[in-house]
Amino acid sequence: MTRSEPSAVQADPASLDTRALLSSARDGDRAAFASLVRLHQSSVFSIGLRMLGRRDAAEDLAQDVFLQLYRKLDSIESLEHLGFWLRRVAANLAIDWLRRSAWSAQPLNDDSPEPPAPEPDEDPLMTRALSGLLGELAPAARAVMVLRYQEDRDVAEIAASLDMPVNTVKSHIKRSLTALRGKMIGARLVSAEDMP
Amino acid sequence: MNEDIENRLRGALRRIDPPDGFAERLLAALPEKELPAPVAALRAARPVVAQSAASPTRWRRFAVPGALAASLLAAVFLGQQIGAQRYANEQRAGLEASRELMQALRVTSKKLDVAYQAVREHDAPPPHGDAEETRT
Repeated sequence: MTRSEPSAVQADPASLDTRALLSSARDGDRAAFASLVRLHQSSVFSIGLRMLGRRDAAEDLAQDVFLQLYRKLDSIESLEHLGFWLRRVAANLAIDWLRRSAWSAQPLNDDSPEPPAPEPDEDPLMTRALSGLLGELAPAARAVMVLRYQEDRDVAEIAASLDMPVNTVKSHIKRSLTALRGKMIGARLVSAEDMP
Repeated sequence: MNEDIENRLRGALRRIDPPDGFAERLLAALPEKELPAPVAALRAARPVVAQSAASPTRWRRFAVPGALAASLLAAVFLGQQIGAQRYANEQRAGLEASRELMQALRVTSKKLDVAYQAVREHDAPPPHGDAEETRT
């Protein structure tokens, strides 16, 4: 199951029609474009953060993605297409950045000054450790995991976003889950009995 | 086994908002974009006739070949006009040259007449001198 697109009501109560927002943004309405940015900024920024491991880099990447969107607005056909386009560009751009820089060798280091507030039933240490372990995966595998578990996208959409065969995506997920389990047991975050 | 890790991952990978003012900074960095006239303005400017039953696509379909044919006709007509103009100019110049030649011939003929007259007057014997010589 995939996570539904954010509605206009969540981001901007004054606007009831995100299709109108898209249409206005295409016609050059900057306020409408800003509303579209606010609707999707957390998704794009989080993909950047989970992929690159730094808030400043994630913000740069998100800016880059939205600037590209501004230039390509005419080619966006619908809101669903907009969400897909943003995830695809953000993930691929992050993979590109990782391959060109030394970031790929570094584990994800989300020691941001504004960490997200944990859910009431969530273990913040586990959350931080899992984010760090995710950063040890190869860029393509990391992108698959971020799109699967952060964005809740199905395998077919991830394959289309990353230009990969579906079986490669499935194999990335399987191998990454096994690797994460091993790392969690190795780091004594969980015991082997908890994850048989 | 995997379900547990998957659930933990979903919990760990919640979306995070970017720093405050992200959208505003982005808007400030947006380049000036050449945009077409707003659709509403275009709709208002569109004549009512265009919305009638005659489909605008038919016009569009024939517009390009029509324009090409019109250009071709205009080029042929212009070529003919230029040719006719050039022929008229050449004819006018020919007439002028022939007129000048005739004038020159007339002048030459007059001069020859004068010269011939002068020669005749010089060669002719004086009318009374001969009679006196014969007498002496």
